[in-house]
Amino acid sequence: MGAIIRWVKSTRLFRSIYREGYPTTPRTRVAVILNSLALHLHPVRVPRRATRVTYTWGLGGLSVYMFVLLTITGVFLMWYYIPSTQDAYWSIRFIESEVTFGQFMRNLHRWAAHGMVIIVFLHMCRVFYTGAYKPPREFNWVIGVALLTITFLLSFTGYLLPWDQLAYWAITVGTNMGGATPFIGDQVRRMLLGGLDIGQATLVRWYTLHVIFLPLLTIVLMSLHFWRVRKDGNISTPVLEDEPEPPGYPPVIEQEG
Amino acid sequence: MTTAQPQEDRAASRVAVLESAAAPSPAARPRPSQENPDEKVHTWPYLVRIEFVGALLYLFLLSLMSVFVDAPLASLANPDVTPNPAKAPWYFLGLQELLLHMDKALAGVIVPGAVLVLLAAIPYVDHRRKGTGIWFYSPKGVPIALFSFAYTSVWNVGLILVDQFLMVPGEQGGHGIGPIIRYWLHSLRQGGGYGFLTDSVVNGIAGWIVPIFIMLLIPTSLALIVRRRWQADTREVLIGLFTFFVASFVVLTVVGTAFRGEGMNLMWPWQVKQANH
Repeated sequence: MGAIIRWVKSTRLFRSIYREGYPTTPRTRVAVILNSLALHLHPVRVPRRATRVTYTWGLGGLSVYMFVLLTITGVFLMWYYIPSTQDAYWSIRFIESEVTFGQFMRNLHRWAAHGMVIIVFLHMCRVFYTGAYKPPREFNWVIGVALLTITFLLSFTGYLLPWDQLAYWAITVGTNMGGATPFIGDQVRRMLLGGLDIGQATLVRWYTLHVIFLPLLTIVLMSLHFWRVRKDGNISTPVLEDEPEPPGYPPVIEQEG
Repeated sequence: MTTAQPQEDRAASRVAVLESAAAPSPAARPRPSQENPDEKVHTWPYLVRIEFVGALLYLFLLSLMSVFVDAPLASLANPDVTPNPAKAPWYFLGLQELLLHMDKALAGVIVPGAVLVLLAAIPYVDHRRKGTGIWFYSPKGVPIALFSFAYTSVWNVGLILVDQFLMVPGEQGGHGIGPIIRYWLHSLRQGGGYGFLTDSVVNGIAGWIVPIFIMLLIPTSLALIVRRRWQADTREVLIGLFTFFVASFVVLTVVGTAFRGEGMNLMWPWQVKQANH
């Protein structure tokens, strides 16, 4: 067995994927962060307090994790789901009764969506109550508020897709709320519905928003969010006294000028 | 160009540079001590393993739920059959609750829009760095948050109950603060001499001015109390105000979800459940 593992590890293919061995020394532990796409979002070293679960409760990470899980289960559902008013409901019934693991994947998609709404909201509360929005992280908080809004919209646009009574009337209530916008209410409602009533145009519109536009927007804003976390000094650590300006802030450009 | 240089060497040289800069002693020290929270530990494995276990645990719990609880699927959409009540998804039921008490443009668009703008503005109001990274900021933080949560909840629940059980005199069964104001203003107009009280003025007062006044009164009074009682600074007042937002969202969502049944009337959760099936 050991010989086989050693042989696998010595192949050109394996070595092209994992250039370093299992990271056990300080040097290789640095390398594994630097050389991995997912892990390089982290700094190479973090303060010990940043590994304390009760500081962040891992809520930011879990939000991303939910997004990934929703993408995977969502693509699975897309294989079977038909976005037409004739077929949508029956394709959901088909997923539930005929598709292997169909009911499970739909359940997972639904509960992860609710989970994401709750977790993103809790993440906002965590960031607020730990004062992690303070300079230099102000703008990342703003991006976070945008991501919270999009999370609600992602969940809400998915709500219509099963085309059952629950979906139809929830969207009726929701679009009526949007239609109450002062001055441009009728236009907003027309835009949301793709017409005067909930119908095929609404379904296509919300399906496109749900599977293409909003996920792409989320990915762009999430990338910005993570990038800013790194640029703004990684995870927040205690600041006990007011400092006039943190080092490296305002931006370097001014110092160079 | 360095294209001829093997990938491995390049990565290794980056590592070497970084290590010599960051690590005081590059000597092998596999386990960091427990005492100093500012001490830097390697992300691998000390953070990565926590994230990995967290992800597995969460996946396990979600899978468990997905095995035992099925996602809801009602009967096929039917535009001719309106369920009573027709409800939005739970996270919008706080807004739907607001719709019952004021003008729908105010409740459905302006209030949520204002909430998002005010949330985004927080770091620009509280722009001191002190308190970053500290749960609840100061010893006053937790008491202020608890007080704010209780204060807001009492206001919210009280207003909802008043709106439900305050009956309009004389008329056929109307109830609520808005209808009562309409009733008073209409009777004033009929009494003569108040010709400016047209229908739109009456609706403006009952549906806009009074709700806005109440929605401003709660956080303003809260901020004043917190400032007086705790000698609070900006951050502490903001803890009170943010908690006002959280508590309002929670209370309105719970009431809208579990206590609103047929005709969007208040009832106990088990009565709501019966009405839904």
